[in-house]
Amino acid sequence: MSALLAFSLASGAAAHRLDEYLQATLIGVSRDGTDVEIQLTPGVAMLPLLLAVIDQDRDGRISPTEEQAYASRVARELELRVDGVSAPLSLIESKFPTIEAMREGLGTIRMKLRTARSGHSLRFENRHLPQISAYLVNCLASPSDGLLVGPQKRDEQQRSIQFDYAFGAGAVPVPRALWPAAIGMLLVVRMAILLYRAPSARRSA
Amino acid sequence: MVRTTLLGTTIAILCCSLAAAQSSSSVAPIVAGANAFLGSLDEGQRSKVLFDFNDAAQRVKWSNLPTTMVPRAGLKMGDLSAPQRKAAMALLAAALSKHGYEKVLAIVEGDEALKAASGGRGGTMFGRDLFYISILGKPSMKDPWMLQFGGHHLALNITIVGPEGILTPSLTAAQPAKYTVDGKTVRPLGAENDKAFALINALDEPQRKQAILNYKVADLVLGPGQDGKTIQPEGLKCSAMNASQQAMLLDLAGEWAGIVNEQAAAARMAEIKANLSATWFAWSGPTTNGTPAYYRIQGPTLVIEYAPQPLGGDPTMHIHTIYRDPTNDYGKKSVGH
Repeated sequence: MSALLAFSLASGAAAHRLDEYLQATLIGVSRDGTDVEIQLTPGVAMLPLLLAVIDQDRDGRISPTEEQAYASRVARELELRVDGVSAPLSLIESKFPTIEAMREGLGTIRMKLRTARSGHSLRFENRHLPQISAYLVNCLASPSDGLLVGPQKRDEQQRSIQFDYAFGAGAVPVPRALWPAAIGMLLVVRMAILLYRAPSARRSA
Repeated sequence: MVRTTLLGTTIAILCCSLAAAQSSSSVAPIVAGANAFLGSLDEGQRSKVLFDFNDAAQRVKWSNLPTTMVPRAGLKMGDLSAPQRKAAMALLAAALSKHGYEKVLAIVEGDEALKAASGGRGGTMFGRDLFYISILGKPSMKDPWMLQFGGHHLALNITIVGPEGILTPSLTAAQPAKYTVDGKTVRPLGAENDKAFALINALDEPQRKQAILNYKVADLVLGPGQDGKTIQPEGLKCSAMNASQQAMLLDLAGEWAGIVNEQAAAARMAEIKANLSATWFAWSGPTTNGTPAYYRIQGPTLVIEYAPQPLGGDPTMHIHTIYRDPTNDYGKKSVGH
């Protein structure tokens, strides 16, 4: 195409992330635990700030010890509560890109965390470096597990999320506020069954 | 009785033949185009462009980023002779609809515009010469194979299984989202923008309240590297839309589904329509056209995300989109892998 190309690009517009630290979290709930996957991508302009946090000996490299220390810090600054009770996340895996990739705004730190706690209500909050960060947080779908998730409530910046959930075909997530009523209903049904069975049990005895 | 049976059998055979001919009608030019392209290459080039259909590493080697940052495999357009390049583009044109092919060209030429505007370093990072083509498997009317074409801001993954042309996952993007060629304005993803703003403004107040998320969305959630993941849907369910609004949403989804050739696109649109009542539309950002807003269309077999990029410049001039089918990305359902 022979063409006269003309357009204006705002200065600084480029292929890479610039002035924010993108922290994207996916939360997977299952019957036997809760998995958290977080991808942290520093913008080019944010790298010096981030390196000041990670590169503790200031040698311009990220050593395995510094990786571990940083990943542990991130894990400590993620708060997960399951059914209203704190559920500390254990670091399962972390992968760090090269500093060169991060200088291009391309490097993504990837972390997988897990707790064996599962339940019916979850609240997650990311408190890591809020001054420089943009956040994404979502709950993964799991149709094969019969997972049903109620409305996801987030703050405007997506630093926190909370939702109710349930498993099994036809299961409906019960909001925490309704648990006493739900438990009461179950007890009433159980007592009705016992009362119904009692006379027939006496007859057969 | 015998005559009636014979007549019925003949009609049935004719119908089957017609259906087969019709279903193969769109595949034949693609296979012919692939063979013509492969025939134009020398042995060394062919070994570079061809991969095993089950090459999982090559299948997922795509990105929104420039090829200098995330290297692609296959053959680079800039390394092809003029006839070879023409054959490659003819193959792409055969696999896509006219509208889809024009959209792809607009994205590629947008990258050429970005190169011109970026000066020194842009010459090595951007431009139409830095797009790659690769073929996984043997081009066939019957057996599955795959055509990949992409580079900065473009990743087309087209799995062809007989008459099926599966375009998911694919990424379209644009930077600049608006440029001029010979005095004519080009907006590679202009329809994706304008149709979405028309839809959000066609909703009534309670519907809009449901559709608009109360939080900012800084980027694609299910972009490159997020294969196999599905998030919980949010926003307004299409079952709560009226017929006109539903038609607008289908028209919008057609901007992605319609990139592939007309026959495959028609089948895909029928599938999206069949699942419409279980499809959701979510929006984040202002509702005035010309401002940066994120949106997502998500159904049982569909994920579309449109995300302006706040990367230091005007977000409306830098758009990323992703198109997925969680049940059939890379044709996994159709192929059975």
